[in-house]
Amino acid sequence: MVLSKYISRKVNLKIPFLLIFLCPAAFFCACRRSAESEKPPNTLVVALESGPTHLDPRYAMDADSERISALIFNSLVRPDKNSRLQPELAESWQAIDERTYVFQIRKGVSFHNGKPLTAADVKYTYESILDPGSRSPKRGAFKFLQDVDQLGPYEVRFRLAIPFAPFMEELTLGIVPQAAAADGAAGGWTLIGSGPFTLAEFSPGERVVLKANASYWEGAPPLSGMVFKVIPDAIVRVLEFRKGTVDFIQNYFEPDMLPWMKKNTRAAILSEQGNIFQYIAMNLDHPILRRPEVREAIGHAIDREAIIRNILKGLAIPATGLLSPEHWAYESGVRRLEYNPEEAKRLLDQAGFPDPDGDGPLPRFKLSYKTTTLDLRKRIAEALKEQLARVGIELEVRAFEWGTFYGDIGKGNFHIYSLDWVGTKDPDIYYDLFHSSSVPPNGRNRGRYRNQELDALLERGRRTTILDERKRIYSRVQEILADDLPYIPLWWGKNVAVMQPAVRGFDLYPDGKLISLKKVSLSSAKPGS
Amino acid sequence: MKHYLLHRLLLLFPTLLGTVTVVFLLIHAVPGDPVEVMLGETAASADKESLRRKLGLDQPLARQYLHFLAGLATADLGRSLYNQATVSKLILRRLPATIELTLAAMTVAFLLAFPLGILAAARRDSWIDRGALFFSLFGLAMPNFWLGPVLMIFFSIELGWLPVSGRGGIGHLILPALTLGMAMAAILTRIIRSGLLQTIHEDYIRTARAKGLSERRIWLKHALMNSLISVITIVGLQFGSLLAGSIITESIFSWPGIGRLTLQAIQTRDYPLVQGCVLVIAVSYLAVNLLTDICYRLADPRIAYDK
Repeated sequence: MVLSKYISRKVNLKIPFLLIFLCPAAFFCACRRSAESEKPPNTLVVALESGPTHLDPRYAMDADSERISALIFNSLVRPDKNSRLQPELAESWQAIDERTYVFQIRKGVSFHNGKPLTAADVKYTYESILDPGSRSPKRGAFKFLQDVDQLGPYEVRFRLAIPFAPFMEELTLGIVPQAAAADGAAGGWTLIGSGPFTLAEFSPGERVVLKANASYWEGAPPLSGMVFKVIPDAIVRVLEFRKGTVDFIQNYFEPDMLPWMKKNTRAAILSEQGNIFQYIAMNLDHPILRRPEVREAIGHAIDREAIIRNILKGLAIPATGLLSPEHWAYESGVRRLEYNPEEAKRLLDQAGFPDPDGDGPLPRFKLSYKTTTLDLRKRIAEALKEQLARVGIELEVRAFEWGTFYGDIGKGNFHIYSLDWVGTKDPDIYYDLFHSSSVPPNGRNRGRYRNQELDALLERGRRTTILDERKRIYSRVQEILADDLPYIPLWWGKNVAVMQPAVRGFDLYPDGKLISLKKVSLSSAKPGS
Repeated sequence: MKHYLLHRLLLLFPTLLGTVTVVFLLIHAVPGDPVEVMLGETAASADKESLRRKLGLDQPLARQYLHFLAGLATADLGRSLYNQATVSKLILRRLPATIELTLAAMTVAFLLAFPLGILAAARRDSWIDRGALFFSLFGLAMPNFWLGPVLMIFFSIELGWLPVSGRGGIGHLILPALTLGMAMAAILTRIIRSGLLQTIHEDYIRTARAKGLSERRIWLKHALMNSLISVITIVGLQFGSLLAGSIITESIFSWPGIGRLTLQAIQTRDYPLVQGCVLVIAVSYLAVNLLTDICYRLADPRIAYDK
């Protein structure tokens, strides 16, 4: 009031003055109601980074799509926490020979619309993927599948074109009801599964709302529903958690936010070793990177422990290869790349790349390092740049948005890049990553690695169904790759889930799957800090 | 005026054509194949080719462009490469959120800039003027990606007054509007202040004082109205900045608007959706500029476009 009088001594400007202060105040008062009435009771709110693009299991390719789709749809088999396949819709199965499998389908399972799930739905699901008209991105993964026959109402037979050991892994695909139109994301049909949750709302890029399936054959989930909120910004996800409007975040935060969350929230934090493999890939068509000594030198020049300690805040362990120690085919006896800059310098000298000016500024050679625009990836890139500079290799870090980055690495338009593999199940993935025939566009051998011995092993590995023999084959594969270094292993990341104290019963899966949300309940504890 | 408006409306078409042509060429020039992104690298080459044919991406660029223009002529923006929904449906679903945010940001800018600008001019060289100058510098210097989280921490976490992000009631709108409107408020404050200071020494203001009009009437009616022309110009130009800024602000605040949709479409190389979004943004920008010109006429009747 004093201020107002002061102003109006010469000019009466009460109105604008009041506007400045009263309008925001009116806004604040008006808004409190809407802010508080957001969360339905007994509903878990999960924060996601980019969210699912397709929830139809025949089209779900990204991690969020697969994880949420698995809560709506059941599959014949489902991997447990230790990545061992367990029966889900398949009550039992029998391998008639190397190419023929017969499955007995569980009776008494119904879709969300009440219709019973039968062998006809299983046959339809797989045949719709094989149909070129369906444009399913998973069709390529099923090229080994010759046909699917319904032998009875609850009996189905799969026949393979060739013996294919990883076949069982492909049966984790969600089963859709017969005659479901192609691509549920287009809204052509309502996504109806038989899983513990039904789909109530799907707004791509915004949110997914699930409701509990009260008549779920394994028993109704304790939660009434779940809301998956897409919150693109990492800081905002954490702030939402701090405010209590988000109950659960798995992995979608920067590692250095974890200490802050420990200090400023009452979050229950779960952390377990996962199978997220971070690596550096190199273009072996490049005249410098073609040299094995150079690749080994790069491997010795990287101080993984320092990056894990300082940037990843301990949420990883140094890796020796794609398969993590928990995997059945993991080989522990492979060559390990210890941090040894002197050895790196010696190898580079030996390869014919002497340092032109000793400890001076001139590099031995210059390479470009491509990465995405994610903050954490850029920070890791800067750390690698500094470490490689110590042995005389100049890295030019170039960060691109995902579409450009992905396009470039597929075309071989790179020297070095870094990415990760998440949720590796069958070691047959090596075929896709390192077989000579898997150079893009036929696979993901982006570094153009070629090795005849490895090719022969990978071909045998996918045709052999005897586990011990497969183990021997993939042990040798891992040894070859650790010697040749088409990838330089960096670390295996840990999975971390932060939950409000009220959240009970969540189990972390090594591949980050969210299937254990079906057992989660909310106690009456007050969320937030 | 009528002729002028007709002339301006006709000019919209070549401008829009130029815009969509540039966007069409740019989005096709950047690396990244939508088919690769959709089917993944493991898909068979035959499947990729088949999808490419189905989407018309196997056609020469010129033919794709003509097809796009033909669709545009019939108001058909095509279908999203990803979920096959029509582009217009996707845009119309998100457009209200962006309009809401942009208008709210402009409101915030006006609410802050007019009182501050007027006070700063009326109390030249006082602490109010210095405060307004500080506010202007602060508003211009603070990037959205910093200001947004800071406002969230203060108003949502510490005070608990407002929701952190998302779209809902009016409470959800305040922080993104404040973040987005801050830069515009800063510029407008300076423009209003300098416009008023320039106008207040004009002869007609002296005449008004001599006639015995109250200071409030002189400042708010005679001086402010006469300094509005430059404000209108800035508002028209800044509208483009608001639209561009909404891409960042919408991402920070998880605001389901057209800015976020554009960003998602670019990341997935969803060509029709990118083109549709840019077209809508360009139309909005041009429409606001046209509106600005009409406002000139309303603010200053001496402006005659037809002469």
